Amino acid sequence: MKVSELLETRWTNWRELDRLCTVLQGRWGKAVRAEMVTRMAALYRGACADLALADAYQLPPGTIDYLHRLVGKAHNQLYRSRKFAYASWLEELLVTVPQRLFNDNYLRLAFCIFWGMFLLTAGLAYHQPGFAERVWSKEMLMHLDESFAQPLEQHGISGEMIGFYIGHNGGIGLECFAAGLLLGVGGLYITATNAVQLGAFFGFMARSTHRENFFHFVTAHGPLELTAIVLSAAAGMRLGFSLIDTKGMTRSASLRAAVDQTLPVAIAAMLMFFLAAMIEAFLSPSPAPYPVKVLVATVSAGALAFYFVILGYPRRE
Amino acid sequence: MAPQNGQLDNRIDIVTPENIAFHYQVAGPFRRLPAYLVDLMIRIGLSVVSMIVLVICFAAVHLPDVGAGGGMICYFVIAWFYGGLFETFWNGQTPGKRLMDIRVLSVDGQPINGVQAVMRNLLRVIDGYGFYLVGLIVASMNNRFQRLGDLACGTMVVIEEPKWFHGVVRITEPAAIQLAAQIPAGFVVDRRLARGLAGYVQRRGNFAWPRRLEIARHLSEPLLARLPLPPTTDPDLLLAALYHRTFIADHEDGQSPWGDAVTQSPFMAGAKP
Repeated sequence: MKVSELLETRWTNWRELDRLCTVLQGRWGKAVRAEMVTRMAALYRGACADLALADAYQLPPGTIDYLHRLVGKAHNQLYRSRKFAYASWLEELLVTVPQRLFNDNYLRLAFCIFWGMFLLTAGLAYHQPGFAERVWSKEMLMHLDESFAQPLEQHGISGEMIGFYIGHNGGIGLECFAAGLLLGVGGLYITATNAVQLGAFFGFMARSTHRENFFHFVTAHGPLELTAIVLSAAAGMRLGFSLIDTKGMTRSASLRAAVDQTLPVAIAAMLMFFLAAMIEAFLSPSPAPYPVKVLVATVSAGALAFYFVILGYPRRE
Repeated sequence: MAPQNGQLDNRIDIVTPENIAFHYQVAGPFRRLPAYLVDLMIRIGLSVVSMIVLVICFAAVHLPDVGAGGGMICYFVIAWFYGGLFETFWNGQTPGKRLMDIRVLSVDGQPINGVQAVMRNLLRVIDGYGFYLVGLIVASMNNRFQRLGDLACGTMVVIEEPKWFHGVVRITEPAAIQLAAQIPAGFVVDRRLARGLAGYVQRRGNFAWPRRLEIARHLSEPLLARLPLPPTTDPDLLLAALYHRTFIADHEDGQSPWGDAVTQSPFMAGAKP
Protein backbone atom coordinates (compact mmCIF):
# COMPACT_ATOMS: atom_id res chain seq x y z
CA MET A 1 0.00 0.00 0.00
CA LYS A 2 1.37 3.39 -0.95
CA VAL A 3 1.90 6.00 1.69
CA SER A 4 -0.45 8.44 0.06
CA GLU A 5 -3.33 5.92 0.17
CA LEU A 6 -2.61 5.15 3.79
CA LEU A 7 -2.59 8.82 4.69
CA GLU A 8 -5.82 9.30 2.81
CA THR A 9 -7.58 6.72 4.97
CA ARG A 10 -6.10 8.00 8.24
CA TRP A 11 -6.27 11.73 7.74
CA THR A 12 -9.99 12.09 8.45
CA ASN A 13 -9.57 10.12 11.70
CA TRP A 14 -6.69 12.27 12.85
CA ARG A 15 -8.54 15.44 12.08
CA GLU A 16 -11.59 14.21 13.96
CA LEU A 17 -9.42 13.37 16.97
CA ASP A 18 -7.88 16.84 16.84
CA ARG A 19 -11.34 18.39 16.73
CA LEU A 20 -12.58 16.26 19.64
CA CYS A 21 -9.57 17.35 21.73
CA THR A 22 -10.42 20.98 21.09
CA VAL A 23 -14.04 20.37 22.07
CA LEU A 24 -13.01 18.61 25.29
CA GLN A 25 -10.56 21.37 26.12
CA GLY A 26 -13.16 24.11 25.90
CA ARG A 27 -16.03 22.34 27.64
CA TRP A 28 -15.79 24.44 30.85
CA GLY A 29 -16.79 21.65 33.20
CA LYS A 30 -19.83 20.52 31.23
CA ALA A 31 -20.44 16.78 31.05
CA VAL A 32 -19.25 15.03 27.91
CA ARG A 33 -21.53 12.77 25.91
CA ALA A 34 -20.69 9.08 26.28
CA GLU A 35 -20.45 8.40 22.55
CA MET A 36 -17.96 11.23 22.24
CA VAL A 37 -15.75 9.66 24.88
CA THR A 38 -15.80 6.21 23.31
CA ARG A 39 -15.20 7.70 19.87
CA MET A 40 -12.28 9.68 21.20
CA ALA A 41 -10.77 6.60 22.88
CA ALA A 42 -11.01 4.62 19.66
CA LEU A 43 -9.47 7.42 17.62
CA TYR A 44 -6.71 7.86 20.20
CA ARG A 45 -5.82 4.17 20.04
CA GLY A 46 -5.77 4.41 16.27
CA ALA A 47 -3.48 7.43 16.30
CA CYS A 48 -1.15 5.72 18.81
CA ALA A 49 -0.96 2.65 16.58
CA ASP A 50 -0.22 4.81 13.54
CA LEU A 51 2.53 6.61 15.43
CA ALA A 52 4.05 3.35 16.64
CA LEU A 53 4.08 2.02 13.06
CA ALA A 54 5.03 5.30 11.43
CA ASP A 55 8.53 4.08 10.69
CA ALA A 56 7.28 0.85 9.12
CA TYR A 57 4.71 2.78 7.10
CA GLN A 58 7.46 5.13 5.86
CA LEU A 59 5.45 8.21 6.78
CA PRO A 60 7.12 11.52 5.90
CA PRO A 61 8.89 13.23 8.87
CA GLY A 62 6.41 16.10 8.85
CA THR A 63 3.54 13.68 9.31
CA ILE A 64 5.36 11.97 12.18
CA ASP A 65 5.87 15.32 13.91
CA TYR A 66 2.18 16.04 13.47
CA LEU A 67 1.30 12.65 14.98
CA HIS A 68 3.55 13.25 17.99
CA ARG A 69 1.75 16.50 18.73
CA LEU A 70 -1.65 14.94 18.14
CA VAL A 71 -1.01 11.97 20.43
CA GLY A 72 0.43 14.30 23.10
CA LYS A 73 -2.61 16.55 22.90
CA ALA A 74 -5.05 13.64 23.11
CA HIS A 75 -3.08 12.10 25.98
CA ASN A 76 -3.46 15.31 27.96
CA GLN A 77 -7.21 15.34 27.40
CA LEU A 78 -7.62 11.68 28.43
CA TYR A 79 -5.44 11.96 31.53
CA ARG A 80 -6.36 15.11 33.38
CA SER A 81 -4.83 16.77 36.44
CA ARG A 82 -5.71 15.18 39.74
CA LYS A 83 -7.39 17.59 42.12
CA PHE A 84 -6.70 17.86 45.83
CA ALA A 85 -7.41 14.85 48.01
CA TYR A 86 -9.76 16.78 50.31
CA ALA A 87 -10.81 13.68 52.27
CA SER A 88 -7.31 13.08 53.57
CA TRP A 89 -6.62 16.71 54.48
CA LEU A 90 -8.14 16.64 57.94
CA GLU A 91 -6.20 13.52 58.87
CA GLU A 92 -3.06 15.02 57.38
CA LEU A 93 -3.46 18.26 59.38
CA LEU A 94 -4.47 16.69 62.69
CA VAL A 95 -2.46 13.45 62.73
CA THR A 96 0.44 13.39 60.28
CA VAL A 97 1.67 16.97 60.49
CA PRO A 98 1.98 17.24 64.31
CA GLN A 99 3.61 13.80 64.46
CA ARG A 100 6.14 14.90 61.88
CA LEU A 101 6.76 18.25 63.54
CA PHE A 102 7.33 16.75 66.99
CA ASN A 103 10.64 15.25 65.86
CA ASP A 104 11.48 17.96 63.37
CA ASN A 105 14.95 19.39 63.92
CA TYR A 106 14.24 22.18 61.47
CA LEU A 107 11.36 23.37 63.60
CA ARG A 108 13.64 23.37 66.66
CA LEU A 109 16.29 25.28 64.74
CA ALA A 110 13.83 27.84 63.36
CA PHE A 111 12.31 28.19 66.85
CA CYS A 112 15.71 28.82 68.45
CA ILE A 113 16.81 31.26 65.76
CA PHE A 114 13.59 33.24 65.75
CA TRP A 115 13.16 33.49 69.50
CA GLY A 116 16.89 33.82 70.17
CA MET A 117 17.25 36.76 67.80
CA PHE A 118 13.98 38.23 68.98
CA LEU A 119 14.89 38.17 72.68
CA LEU A 120 18.46 39.31 72.00
CA THR A 121 17.45 42.37 70.00
CA ALA A 122 14.55 43.14 72.32
CA GLY A 123 16.98 43.15 75.24
CA LEU A 124 19.48 45.28 73.35
CA ALA A 125 16.85 47.77 72.26
CA TYR A 126 15.52 47.97 75.79
CA HIS A 127 18.85 48.51 77.51
CA GLN A 128 20.69 50.52 74.86
CA PRO A 129 18.78 53.55 73.69
CA GLY A 130 19.61 54.14 70.05
CA PHE A 131 19.84 50.46 69.12
CA ALA A 132 16.34 50.35 67.68
CA GLU A 133 17.15 53.33 65.48
CA ARG A 134 19.85 51.24 63.82
CA VAL A 135 17.30 48.61 62.82
CA TRP A 136 14.43 50.88 61.92
CA SER A 137 14.70 54.40 60.63
CA LYS A 138 13.97 57.11 63.18
CA GLU A 139 10.96 58.45 61.29
CA MET A 140 9.50 54.97 61.03
CA LEU A 141 9.86 54.43 64.78
CA MET A 142 8.29 57.81 65.52
CA HIS A 143 5.43 57.01 63.20
CA LEU A 144 4.85 53.58 64.78
CA ASP A 145 5.12 55.07 68.25
CA GLU A 146 2.58 57.76 67.33
CA SER A 147 0.11 55.13 66.18
CA PHE A 148 -0.01 53.76 69.71
CA ALA A 149 -0.39 57.20 71.32
CA GLN A 150 -4.17 56.94 71.45
CA PRO A 151 -5.83 54.52 73.85
CA LEU A 152 -7.34 51.58 71.97
CA GLU A 153 -10.91 52.85 72.42
CA GLN A 154 -10.18 55.43 69.75
CA HIS A 155 -9.08 52.91 67.16
CA GLY A 156 -12.32 51.06 66.79
CA ILE A 157 -12.68 47.78 64.98
CA SER A 158 -11.96 47.92 61.30
CA GLY A 159 -12.99 45.32 58.79
CA GLU A 160 -10.36 46.67 56.50
CA MET A 161 -7.59 45.58 58.82
CA ILE A 162 -8.39 41.87 58.70
CA GLY A 163 -7.74 41.76 54.99
CA PHE A 164 -4.55 43.71 55.45
CA TYR A 165 -3.29 41.42 58.20
CA ILE A 166 -4.07 38.22 56.30
CA GLY A 167 -2.44 39.50 53.14
CA HIS A 168 0.58 41.04 54.80
CA ASN A 169 1.39 38.35 57.36
CA GLY A 170 0.44 35.46 55.10
CA GLY A 171 2.68 36.94 52.44
CA ILE A 172 5.62 37.15 54.86
CA GLY A 173 5.01 33.55 55.93
CA LEU A 174 4.83 32.25 52.37
CA GLU A 175 7.94 34.14 51.36
CA CYS A 176 9.76 32.77 54.42
CA PHE A 177 8.70 29.32 53.27
CA ALA A 178 9.62 29.71 49.60
CA ALA A 179 12.97 31.37 50.34
CA GLY A 180 13.94 28.28 52.34
CA LEU A 181 14.51 26.52 49.04
CA LEU A 182 17.68 28.57 48.52
CA LEU A 183 19.65 25.90 50.41
CA GLY A 184 17.90 27.00 53.60
CA VAL A 185 19.96 30.19 53.70
CA GLY A 186 17.21 32.39 52.22
CA GLY A 187 14.76 31.17 54.85
CA LEU A 188 17.30 31.75 57.61
CA TYR A 189 17.85 35.28 56.36
CA ILE A 190 14.18 36.21 56.20
CA THR A 191 13.47 34.58 59.57
CA ALA A 192 16.37 36.38 61.20
CA THR A 193 15.44 39.73 59.60
CA ASN A 194 11.89 39.49 60.83
CA ALA A 195 13.03 38.43 64.31
CA VAL A 196 15.49 41.31 64.56
CA GLN A 197 12.97 43.90 63.36
CA LEU A 198 10.22 42.64 65.65
CA GLY A 199 12.61 42.32 68.60
CA ALA A 200 14.01 45.81 68.17
CA PHE A 201 10.51 47.22 67.92
CA PHE A 202 9.31 45.38 71.01
CA GLY A 203 12.36 46.55 72.98
CA PHE A 204 11.83 50.10 71.78
CA MET A 205 8.15 50.11 72.64
CA ALA A 206 8.82 48.66 76.10
CA ARG A 207 10.66 51.91 76.90
CA SER A 208 8.07 54.08 75.22
CA THR A 209 5.49 56.06 77.12
CA HIS A 210 2.78 54.33 75.10
CA ARG A 211 3.85 50.83 76.13
CA GLU A 212 0.56 49.97 77.80
CA ASN A 213 -1.37 50.60 74.60
CA PHE A 214 1.20 48.64 72.67
CA PHE A 215 1.07 45.52 74.81
CA HIS A 216 -2.69 45.86 75.00
CA PHE A 217 -2.63 45.52 71.22
CA VAL A 218 -0.09 42.75 70.62
CA THR A 219 -0.80 40.31 73.45
CA ALA A 220 -3.85 38.50 72.12
CA HIS A 221 -2.65 37.50 68.67
CA GLY A 222 1.07 37.21 69.47
CA PRO A 223 1.37 33.46 70.17
CA LEU A 224 -0.44 32.35 67.01
CA GLU A 225 1.24 34.80 64.68
CA LEU A 226 4.80 34.28 65.86
CA THR A 227 4.37 30.49 65.87
CA ALA A 228 3.06 30.64 62.31
CA ILE A 229 6.19 32.50 61.16
CA VAL A 230 8.43 29.94 62.90
CA LEU A 231 6.42 27.12 61.33
CA SER A 232 6.67 28.43 57.79
CA ALA A 233 10.37 29.15 58.20
CA ALA A 234 10.90 25.58 59.44
CA ALA A 235 9.01 24.16 56.47
CA GLY A 236 11.12 26.24 54.11
CA MET A 237 14.34 25.09 55.76
CA ARG A 238 13.27 21.49 55.38
CA LEU A 239 12.93 22.13 51.65
CA GLY A 240 16.33 23.77 51.39
CA PHE A 241 18.26 21.31 53.55
CA SER A 242 16.76 18.36 51.69
CA LEU A 243 19.12 19.41 48.90
CA ILE A 244 22.12 19.09 51.23
CA ASP A 245 21.25 16.03 53.35
CA THR A 246 19.64 13.76 50.78
CA LYS A 247 19.47 10.63 52.98
CA GLY A 248 20.91 8.57 50.17
CA MET A 249 18.48 9.70 47.46
CA THR A 250 19.38 11.81 44.46
CA ARG A 251 19.06 15.52 45.13
CA SER A 252 15.97 15.97 42.99
CA ALA A 253 14.23 12.92 44.51
CA SER A 254 15.06 14.18 47.99
CA LEU A 255 13.65 17.61 47.17
CA ARG A 256 10.49 16.12 45.73
CA ALA A 257 9.93 14.01 48.83
CA ALA A 258 10.39 17.15 50.95
CA VAL A 259 7.84 19.06 48.84
CA ASP A 260 5.13 16.48 49.55
CA GLN A 261 5.89 16.70 53.27
CA THR A 262 6.11 20.46 53.62
CA LEU A 263 3.00 21.68 51.80
CA PRO A 264 0.67 20.48 54.61
CA VAL A 265 2.94 22.24 57.14
CA ALA A 266 2.79 25.45 55.10
CA ILE A 267 -1.01 25.14 54.97
CA ALA A 268 -1.14 24.63 58.76
CA ALA A 269 0.93 27.82 59.08
CA MET A 270 -1.53 29.62 56.74
CA LEU A 271 -4.44 28.57 58.98
CA MET A 272 -2.60 29.96 62.01
CA PHE A 273 -1.97 33.23 60.18
CA PHE A 274 -5.66 33.37 59.36
CA LEU A 275 -6.71 32.82 63.00
CA ALA A 276 -4.12 35.35 64.17
CA ALA A 277 -5.42 37.91 61.69
CA MET A 278 -8.98 37.39 62.96
CA ILE A 279 -7.86 38.09 66.52
CA GLU A 280 -5.62 40.95 65.42
CA ALA A 281 -8.42 42.66 63.54
CA PHE A 282 -11.30 42.13 65.93
CA LEU A 283 -10.05 41.55 69.48
CA SER A 284 -6.65 43.27 69.63
CA PRO A 285 -7.78 46.81 68.73
CA SER A 286 -10.95 46.53 70.83
CA PRO A 287 -11.13 48.18 74.27
CA ALA A 288 -11.74 44.79 75.93
CA PRO A 289 -10.05 44.54 79.35
CA TYR A 290 -6.44 43.39 79.32
CA PRO A 291 -7.11 40.13 81.24
CA VAL A 292 -9.43 39.02 78.41
CA LYS A 293 -6.63 39.44 75.93
CA VAL A 294 -4.23 37.58 78.19
CA LEU A 295 -6.81 34.82 78.44
CA VAL A 296 -7.07 34.58 74.63
CA ALA A 297 -3.28 34.49 74.35
CA THR A 298 -3.11 31.74 76.99
CA VAL A 299 -5.83 29.70 75.32
CA SER A 300 -4.20 29.96 71.89
CA ALA A 301 -0.79 29.09 73.35
CA GLY A 302 -2.42 26.12 75.08
CA ALA A 303 -4.05 25.04 71.82
CA LEU A 304 -0.70 25.23 70.06
CA ALA A 305 0.93 23.20 72.83
CA PHE A 306 -1.87 20.64 72.49
CA TYR A 307 -1.33 20.50 68.75
CA PHE A 308 2.43 20.12 68.86
CA VAL A 309 2.87 18.02 72.00
CA ILE A 310 -0.29 15.96 72.62
CA LEU A 311 -1.23 15.31 68.98
CA GLY A 312 2.41 15.14 68.00
CA TYR A 313 3.67 12.79 70.72
CA PRO A 314 5.02 9.68 68.98
CA ARG A 315 2.51 6.85 69.08
CA ARG A 316 3.24 3.20 69.44
CA GLU A 317 1.56 1.14 66.79
CA MET B 1 12.23 6.98 14.31
CA ALA B 2 13.11 9.78 16.71
CA PRO B 3 15.53 12.22 15.11
CA GLN B 4 18.96 12.54 16.67
CA ASN B 5 18.70 16.26 17.38
CA GLY B 6 16.31 15.94 20.33
CA GLN B 7 18.59 17.91 22.62
CA LEU B 8 18.80 20.76 20.13
CA ASP B 9 15.04 20.93 19.72
CA ASN B 10 14.31 20.68 23.48
CA ARG B 11 12.52 17.44 22.80
CA ILE B 12 11.48 15.17 25.66
CA ASP B 13 10.58 11.54 24.95
CA ILE B 14 7.68 10.09 26.87
CA VAL B 15 6.70 6.44 27.27
CA THR B 16 3.30 6.06 28.90
CA PRO B 17 2.31 3.03 31.02
CA GLU B 18 0.32 1.78 28.02
CA ASN B 19 3.64 1.67 26.18
CA ILE B 20 2.85 4.53 23.86
CA ALA B 21 5.97 6.44 22.96
CA PHE B 22 5.81 10.03 21.76
CA HIS B 23 7.66 13.24 22.36
CA TYR B 24 6.94 16.76 23.56
CA GLN B 25 8.73 19.98 22.86
CA VAL B 26 9.64 21.83 26.03
CA ALA B 27 8.51 25.45 26.22
CA GLY B 28 11.29 28.00 26.49
CA PRO B 29 11.35 31.52 27.94
CA PHE B 30 9.99 33.20 24.83
CA ARG B 31 6.78 31.27 25.11
CA ARG B 32 6.51 31.29 28.89
CA LEU B 33 7.16 35.02 29.31
CA PRO B 34 4.13 36.16 27.25
CA ALA B 35 1.99 33.61 29.10
CA TYR B 36 3.26 35.02 32.39
CA LEU B 37 2.55 38.61 31.30
CA VAL B 38 -0.99 37.73 30.23
CA ASP B 39 -1.57 36.04 33.59
CA LEU B 40 -0.08 39.06 35.37
CA MET B 41 -2.52 41.38 33.59
CA ILE B 42 -5.44 39.09 34.47
CA ARG B 43 -4.29 38.93 38.09
CA ILE B 44 -4.06 42.70 38.38
CA GLY B 45 -7.42 43.12 36.65
CA LEU B 46 -9.12 40.56 38.90
CA SER B 47 -7.67 42.15 42.04
CA VAL B 48 -8.78 45.64 41.06
CA VAL B 49 -12.26 44.53 39.96
CA SER B 50 -12.85 42.44 43.09
CA MET B 51 -11.74 45.33 45.28
CA ILE B 52 -14.03 47.82 43.52
CA VAL B 53 -17.02 45.46 43.49
CA LEU B 54 -16.63 44.51 47.16
CA VAL B 55 -16.19 48.09 48.32
CA ILE B 56 -19.23 49.27 46.35
CA CYS B 57 -21.38 46.38 47.56
CA PHE B 58 -20.43 46.83 51.21
CA ALA B 59 -20.63 50.60 50.99
CA ALA B 60 -24.29 50.16 50.06
CA VAL B 61 -24.83 48.66 53.53
CA HIS B 62 -22.56 51.31 55.13
CA LEU B 63 -19.63 48.96 55.77
CA PRO B 64 -17.04 50.15 53.24
CA ASP B 65 -14.14 49.01 55.42
CA VAL B 66 -15.40 45.41 55.41
CA GLY B 67 -15.45 45.58 51.62
CA ALA B 68 -11.88 46.87 51.55
CA GLY B 69 -10.83 44.04 53.88
CA GLY B 70 -12.53 41.49 51.63
CA GLY B 71 -10.78 43.06 48.65
CA MET B 72 -7.43 42.66 50.35
CA ILE B 73 -8.14 39.01 51.10
CA CYS B 74 -9.04 38.56 47.42
CA TYR B 75 -5.79 40.22 46.46
CA PHE B 76 -3.81 37.90 48.73
CA VAL B 77 -5.52 34.78 47.38
CA ILE B 78 -5.13 35.90 43.75
CA ALA B 79 -1.49 36.87 44.20
CA TRP B 80 -0.44 33.57 45.77
CA PHE B 81 -2.90 30.96 44.52
CA TYR B 82 -4.07 32.11 41.05
CA GLY B 83 -1.64 29.88 39.17
CA GLY B 84 -1.97 26.92 41.51
CA LEU B 85 -5.75 26.81 41.40
CA PHE B 86 -5.99 27.31 37.64
CA GLU B 87 -3.40 24.64 36.95
CA THR B 88 -5.21 22.23 39.25
CA PHE B 89 -8.69 22.71 37.82
CA TRP B 90 -7.77 23.57 34.23
CA ASN B 91 -5.61 20.54 33.65
CA GLY B 92 -2.24 22.22 33.98
CA GLN B 93 -3.08 25.48 32.23
CA THR B 94 -3.73 29.08 33.22
CA PRO B 95 -5.48 31.47 30.81
CA GLY B 96 -2.08 32.79 29.70
CA LYS B 97 -0.74 29.30 29.17
CA ARG B 98 -3.81 28.31 27.18
CA LEU B 99 -3.39 31.35 24.99
CA MET B 100 0.22 30.41 24.31
CA ASP B 101 -0.65 26.70 23.85
CA ILE B 102 1.55 25.46 26.68
CA ARG B 103 0.73 23.10 29.54
CA VAL B 104 2.31 22.00 32.81
CA LEU B 105 2.96 18.25 33.08
CA SER B 106 4.89 15.99 35.41
CA VAL B 107 8.34 15.12 34.07
CA ASP B 108 7.15 11.59 33.30
CA GLY B 109 4.40 12.96 31.04
CA GLN B 110 1.61 12.34 33.53
CA PRO B 111 -0.81 15.12 34.44
CA ILE B 112 0.08 17.11 37.56
CA ASN B 113 -1.82 16.96 40.86
CA GLY B 114 -3.01 19.76 43.10
CA VAL B 115 0.02 19.69 45.40
CA GLN B 116 2.42 20.08 42.49
CA ALA B 117 0.35 22.88 40.96
CA VAL B 118 0.13 24.90 44.20
CA MET B 119 3.74 24.35 45.22
CA ARG B 120 5.29 25.30 41.89
CA ASN B 121 3.38 28.56 42.06
CA LEU B 122 4.25 29.29 45.71
CA LEU B 123 7.92 28.77 44.91
CA ARG B 124 7.57 31.27 42.07
CA VAL B 125 8.64 33.98 44.59
CA ILE B 126 12.24 32.81 44.64
CA ASP B 127 12.34 32.24 40.89
CA GLY B 128 11.18 35.82 40.60
CA TYR B 129 14.12 37.31 42.50
CA GLY B 130 15.92 39.85 40.32
CA PHE B 131 13.18 40.06 37.67
CA TYR B 132 13.10 36.26 37.21
CA LEU B 133 16.88 36.09 36.84
CA VAL B 134 17.07 33.21 39.34
CA GLY B 135 14.43 31.26 37.43
CA LEU B 136 16.08 32.00 34.09
CA ILE B 137 19.53 30.88 35.24
CA VAL B 138 18.24 27.70 36.87
CA ALA B 139 16.09 26.90 33.84
CA SER B 140 18.95 27.32 31.41
CA MET B 141 20.99 24.80 33.39
CA ASN B 142 18.75 21.78 32.79
CA ASN B 143 17.43 20.25 29.62
CA ARG B 144 13.73 20.50 30.47
CA PHE B 145 13.89 24.23 31.10
CA GLN B 146 12.58 23.82 34.64
CA ARG B 147 12.75 26.75 37.03
CA LEU B 148 13.29 26.08 40.76
CA GLY B 149 9.59 25.56 41.41
CA ASP B 150 9.42 23.04 38.56
CA LEU B 151 12.49 21.19 39.81
CA ALA B 152 11.07 20.97 43.32
CA CYS B 153 7.72 19.64 42.11
CA GLY B 154 8.94 17.47 39.25
CA THR B 155 6.99 19.40 36.62
CA MET B 156 7.81 20.79 33.18
CA VAL B 157 6.05 23.06 30.71
CA VAL B 158 5.48 21.62 27.23
CA ILE B 159 4.21 23.06 23.97
CA GLU B 160 0.87 21.67 22.90
CA GLU B 161 0.34 23.65 19.75
CA PRO B 162 -1.44 21.94 16.87
CA LYS B 163 1.17 21.36 14.24
CA TRP B 164 0.61 21.95 10.56
CA PHE B 165 -0.25 18.72 8.91
CA HIS B 166 2.40 17.71 6.39
CA GLY B 167 0.95 15.11 4.08
CA VAL B 168 2.50 13.95 0.87
CA VAL B 169 3.59 16.77 -1.38
CA ARG B 170 2.20 16.64 -4.91
CA ILE B 171 4.87 16.65 -7.58
CA THR B 172 3.63 18.83 -10.44
CA GLU B 173 6.56 18.80 -12.87
CA PRO B 174 5.79 16.43 -15.79
CA ALA B 175 9.55 15.95 -16.22
CA ALA B 176 9.84 14.49 -12.74
CA ILE B 177 6.91 12.12 -13.34
CA GLN B 178 8.46 10.97 -16.60
CA LEU B 179 11.77 10.46 -14.84
CA ALA B 180 10.05 8.41 -12.15
CA ALA B 181 8.85 5.99 -14.80
CA GLN B 182 12.45 5.45 -15.95
CA ILE B 183 13.70 4.34 -12.54
CA PRO B 184 14.01 0.53 -12.60
CA ALA B 185 11.27 -1.34 -10.74
CA GLY B 186 13.84 -3.28 -8.77
CA PHE B 187 15.31 -0.19 -7.13
CA VAL B 188 14.37 -0.29 -3.44
CA VAL B 189 14.11 2.95 -1.50
CA ASP B 190 14.93 2.08 2.12
CA ARG B 191 13.56 3.92 5.15
CA ARG B 192 16.46 6.25 5.69
CA LEU B 193 16.47 7.30 2.06
CA ALA B 194 12.69 7.80 2.13
CA ARG B 195 13.02 10.03 5.17
CA GLY B 196 15.72 12.08 3.50
CA LEU B 197 13.68 12.42 0.31
CA ALA B 198 10.59 13.56 2.20
CA GLY B 199 12.61 16.06 4.18
CA TYR B 200 14.02 17.54 1.00
CA VAL B 201 10.89 17.59 -1.14
CA GLN B 202 8.77 19.18 1.59
CA ARG B 203 11.14 22.10 1.79
CA ARG B 204 12.35 22.46 -1.79
CA GLY B 205 9.60 24.94 -2.63
CA ASN B 206 11.26 27.40 -0.28
CA PHE B 207 14.65 27.30 -1.98
CA ALA B 208 15.97 29.16 -5.00
CA TRP B 209 17.14 27.13 -7.95
CA PRO B 210 20.95 27.23 -7.30
CA ARG B 211 20.39 26.33 -3.65
CA ARG B 212 18.28 23.33 -4.66
CA LEU B 213 21.05 22.07 -6.92
CA GLU B 214 23.60 22.53 -4.21
CA ILE B 215 21.61 20.54 -1.66
CA ALA B 216 20.28 17.85 -3.97
CA ARG B 217 23.69 17.04 -5.46
CA HIS B 218 24.89 15.42 -2.23
CA LEU B 219 22.27 12.71 -2.61
CA SER B 220 21.88 12.57 -6.38
CA GLU B 221 25.54 11.88 -7.18
CA PRO B 222 25.78 8.55 -5.32
CA LEU B 223 22.29 7.66 -6.59
CA LEU B 224 23.19 8.32 -10.23
CA ALA B 225 26.16 5.99 -9.84
CA ARG B 226 23.70 3.18 -9.03
CA LEU B 227 20.93 4.04 -11.49
CA PRO B 228 20.98 3.54 -15.29
CA LEU B 229 20.30 7.22 -15.94
CA PRO B 230 22.34 9.78 -17.86
CA PRO B 231 24.85 11.51 -15.53
CA THR B 232 23.50 14.88 -16.64
CA THR B 233 20.14 14.25 -14.97
CA ASP B 234 18.96 17.25 -12.96
CA PRO B 235 19.64 16.42 -9.23
CA ASP B 236 16.53 18.23 -8.03
CA LEU B 237 14.28 16.46 -10.51
CA LEU B 238 15.81 13.10 -9.67
CA LEU B 239 14.97 13.45 -5.98
CA ALA B 240 11.47 14.66 -6.82
CA ALA B 241 11.02 11.67 -9.12
CA LEU B 242 12.19 9.21 -6.49
CA TYR B 243 9.87 10.84 -3.99
CA HIS B 244 6.98 10.57 -6.40
CA ARG B 245 7.71 6.89 -7.00
CA THR B 246 8.06 6.10 -3.29
CA PHE B 247 5.04 7.92 -1.94
CA ILE B 248 2.49 8.46 -4.72
CA ALA B 249 3.48 6.58 -7.87
CA ASP B 250 0.30 4.49 -8.03
CA HIS B 251 -1.74 7.52 -9.02
CA GLU B 252 -0.52 8.46 -12.42
CA ASP B 253 -3.69 10.15 -13.52
CA GLY B 254 -2.24 13.38 -12.22
CA GLN B 255 -5.15 13.79 -9.82
CA SER B 256 -3.65 13.66 -6.34
CA PRO B 257 -5.72 11.65 -3.87
CA TRP B 258 -4.26 13.88 -1.28
CA GLY B 259 -5.76 17.14 -2.46
CA ASP B 260 -7.30 18.04 0.85
CA ALA B 261 -4.11 17.66 2.85
CA VAL B 262 -2.02 19.41 0.27
CA THR B 263 -4.19 22.47 0.51
CA GLN B 264 -3.79 22.30 4.29
CA SER B 265 -0.02 22.46 4.11
CA PRO B 266 1.42 25.86 5.05
CA PHE B 267 3.67 25.73 2.03
CA MET B 268 0.57 25.67 -0.12
CA ALA B 269 -0.94 28.60 1.75
CA GLY B 270 -3.90 26.68 3.19
CA ALA B 271 -6.02 27.10 6.28
CA LYS B 272 -5.23 25.66 9.69
CA PRO B 273 -6.66 22.14 10.02
